[in-house]
Amino acid sequence: MLAQVKSWWWALTGQSRLSGEMASEMDSHMERYAADLMARGIEPGDARRRARIEFGSTAAAAEECREAVGLRWPNEFARDLRYATRVLRKSPTFTAAAVATLALCIGANTAIFSVVDAVLLRPLPYPDPERLFSVARHFQGKGSDGYQMNLWGSAWEAVRDNAGYVDAAVFSDGSMGVNFGAAGGVEYVKQQRVSAGFFRVLGIAPLIGREFSADEDRNGGPAVTVLSYALWKRVFRADPSIVGQAVTLRGEPHTIVGVLPAQFQSIVPADLWSPLRPSRSGEGGGSNYAVVVRLRSGATWAQANGQIEAVGAPLLHQYGQDPSTRLQLISFQRGLTEYLRQPMLILWAAVGLVLLIGCVNIAGLLLARAARRTREMATRLALGSGRAALIRQMLAESVLLGLCGGAAGAALGWLGVKALKALMPRSFNVWQAVELDWRVLAATACLSIAAGILFGLYPALAASRLEIRAALGEAGRAVAGGRNPWPRRLLVAGEVALGVVLLVAAGLLIRTFAHLEGLNPGFDSHNVITAEISLQDARYATGQSVNRLFEHSLARMRELPGVDSAAVALSLPYERALNTEFQRLDGRHVDTASESQITNLFYITPEYFRVLRIPLLRGRVFSAADSATAAPAAVVSEAFVKMYMPDADVLGRHLDLGGDERREIVGVVGDVQQKSGWGDGSPLSAMPDVYIPAAQTDGKSLQMVHTWFSPSWIVRSSGTAEGVIAGMQRALESVDPQLPFSGFHSMEDVRYRSLAQERFQAVLIGALAGLALLLAAVGIYGLIANSVAERTRELGIRLALGATVPQAMRSVALPGVALALVGVAAGSVLAGFASQLLRHLVWGVQPGDPLTFVAVGIGLLGVAAAASFLPALRVTRLNPAETLRQE
Amino acid sequence: MGKQVDILQGTLDMLILKAVSLGPLHGYGILLRIQQVSKDALQIPQGSLYPALYRLEHRGWIAAEWGESENKRKAKYYRLTGAGRKQLKSERQEWKRLAVAIGDVLAAEPEEV
Repeated sequence: MLAQVKSWWWALTGQSRLSGEMASEMDSHMERYAADLMARGIEPGDARRRARIEFGSTAAAAEECREAVGLRWPNEFARDLRYATRVLRKSPTFTAAAVATLALCIGANTAIFSVVDAVLLRPLPYPDPERLFSVARHFQGKGSDGYQMNLWGSAWEAVRDNAGYVDAAVFSDGSMGVNFGAAGGVEYVKQQRVSAGFFRVLGIAPLIGREFSADEDRNGGPAVTVLSYALWKRVFRADPSIVGQAVTLRGEPHTIVGVLPAQFQSIVPADLWSPLRPSRSGEGGGSNYAVVVRLRSGATWAQANGQIEAVGAPLLHQYGQDPSTRLQLISFQRGLTEYLRQPMLILWAAVGLVLLIGCVNIAGLLLARAARRTREMATRLALGSGRAALIRQMLAESVLLGLCGGAAGAALGWLGVKALKALMPRSFNVWQAVELDWRVLAATACLSIAAGILFGLYPALAASRLEIRAALGEAGRAVAGGRNPWPRRLLVAGEVALGVVLLVAAGLLIRTFAHLEGLNPGFDSHNVITAEISLQDARYATGQSVNRLFEHSLARMRELPGVDSAAVALSLPYERALNTEFQRLDGRHVDTASESQITNLFYITPEYFRVLRIPLLRGRVFSAADSATAAPAAVVSEAFVKMYMPDADVLGRHLDLGGDERREIVGVVGDVQQKSGWGDGSPLSAMPDVYIPAAQTDGKSLQMVHTWFSPSWIVRSSGTAEGVIAGMQRALESVDPQLPFSGFHSMEDVRYRSLAQERFQAVLIGALAGLALLLAAVGIYGLIANSVAERTRELGIRLALGATVPQAMRSVALPGVALALVGVAAGSVLAGFASQLLRHLVWGVQPGDPLTFVAVGIGLLGVAAAASFLPALRVTRLNPAETLRQE
Repeated sequence: MGKQVDILQGTLDMLILKAVSLGPLHGYGILLRIQQVSKDALQIPQGSLYPALYRLEHRGWIAAEWGESENKRKAKYYRLTGAGRKQLKSERQEWKRLAVAIGDVLAAEPEEV
């Protein structure tokens, strides 16, 4: 075996040497034979001739020798490739069309794959990432099969104490803005809260210092923080003696215990970390934690998963979860990206469909070419070439096309990646770099070759199936087109069908986006500037201190020139709001002690409705009189009334929002759009809202709420944005110089950002569908143009015999329209199934939306008709006499 | 010269191995040796000799090296390798069994069938 490989390699690498040796060996053979013949008395000339004749063809023998050492395949491959290059260069129009098609399709695939790879496929940037898992609740059953990563404090404790096969840590899976003071300045930085051992589980050792100890990770433990490399470099100029130094975090002194290495990639954007301090109550009473585990050495996933499932069963039961729900270990990668999985896979499928359509298109072109190359093929077969050799030759052409298209596609993909990065919403939290790295390029190369084989195989098989005599005898003198047109027609119908699927998907997503974008916001977003302030701050731990800050800062802001009104709220329209359970205490529907309802809850200062111009429908809004000591009051939204108090007069009714207070409903306001955290899951909807005066909140609930949400200051002003922003900043500084704003936005920005993901999807799938439509049109055009060219003679005869030009045109173009009709019909059925996959992404429109289907069908037929009649116009320029004379 | 016989498919390799087992030979020499030993009964088509040589070399049964021939010319000499010797042995046994079997078949009398 080794000897064979050696001899093969030796032969392959030294082909010219090998040829030389063979030639000299055979020459000397013939010379010796000739000498022997001469010795037997034959004339030297005759002897040499006889020696050569008896030896036979040296070239054939040499070829056989090469074959014998296994050089046949590479030799033929090189020859095929050379020939393919020559053939493609000889038909530049075809080559350009095919390469351009492929470049677009493969470019799109490259760009999307680079995102899919970063989000779903690339291993996490931590040591042994395949041993990292998320603890997830797995929901099964009716229509909902999915994973949720958020867990209760008690679940974390159960995993920590009872799952011996894993090393576990718990963290809060978002990052929050907090106030960070060091070296005399304050700034708003991103903080993630993680438990002791979090970095150990990830496999990351701090660059200097250490991570949190168990003692620091419990309530009342020492206040400590770990810095990111970037923050350490920026604020502390990479001071190596930083460990032990004090900084102000959330208004309290904290000690720096460590700095993470530069190459550490955090799963959420974060500048620093502080201990999570997990508990069973408060934050831990809800499912607000995420748990990451690393398999201990020797443990398998099955062992650990079994253990987790057993640990989880009683807990899930206790929390009233569906009996089919299980606690499971899923890969950490998947746990982090679960919410992006479906949109990503749909995007991937869409771009794959576009490539398929492109391949079908090129296959159609190749079939047409094959028809024109019938004589070449027949001649080669007649001269003794094998069928396999012909197929191989044609595959070499298509693979070469694929590779050229792939190279151009990689270049386009590079541009595509740049564009995608700009378009990609921040909500995607794609924290692994999206780039055109070797993984993506390797995938592109494989895709190019696969595409070459995909579109080349059928035409090659079809072209090599030839009746030599018929093909040579026919010699292009056919009257009514030569070859069977059906394969190409089916391909065109198929690509129309695939186009329908993509167009319907795009139509549904665009209609969803239009629906969400068109929802009545319920407020006036013009001329309103907003900025958040983190009040997760030791100095703002009581209701009085918080409200004093609100009052004083707002009073200063109202004094600014041009300012109409100013307010503070947690949270704003288009944002995800705090939700809470409540009970109805009187009226037609009274909740018993065991019943509770859910609503969004906002605290606001009195001018809130004025700033956002949310209309008051009944009763009154808050005023300064709704103070901490006044009777508890609430204002509810219309959606709240509709959902919970549909037929009673709500004014004067009472709610229990937790705590033993009776809160009276004093007013009803119009609905605003919100990101839903509960309910039907629609990205935006008018949800039931309860507003309470900020003055009537207490320190304990504020502290909890402020670890998750930051309140927003909103100012309505007729002045310029710059002026307002500068004024707001000065106003805040004069009240508390230690408190930074997060960054300023107009309410229009907030509105725009709220639909980033839907916009991204609609734009991308829309663009891909546009590409598919273009390709389908090109495919139909090519088919008809080809048939006009093939049938020139027939059409000439028809015209000569008295057919009118419109008749002739119809006979050429109608097959195109008919095929499109077939394609649309088949595609509608396919799209019916495909749209079901989109049902979680489609809002305000049914997956089977008739308008979308009909519009796509009519649009495609229109395009198909145009693409069919355009090439048929050539018939009008046909001169029957000339056409007939040509033969 | 007696009557010439066509070489059976597959036996050329065995003949070449046998020829070079007696001592290194160049291609033409192998041809001569086979013809000579078979008393010219076996005629090897010259064109198929070299592919066979390359095939055997590729399989590692014979090895080639360039040397000087009797008339001071460069020539490629083939010799049997260890693996070739084993191969020759097994092919010879195979051939013997085949020859016996065919002989038996041809010698069969009607009543024995």
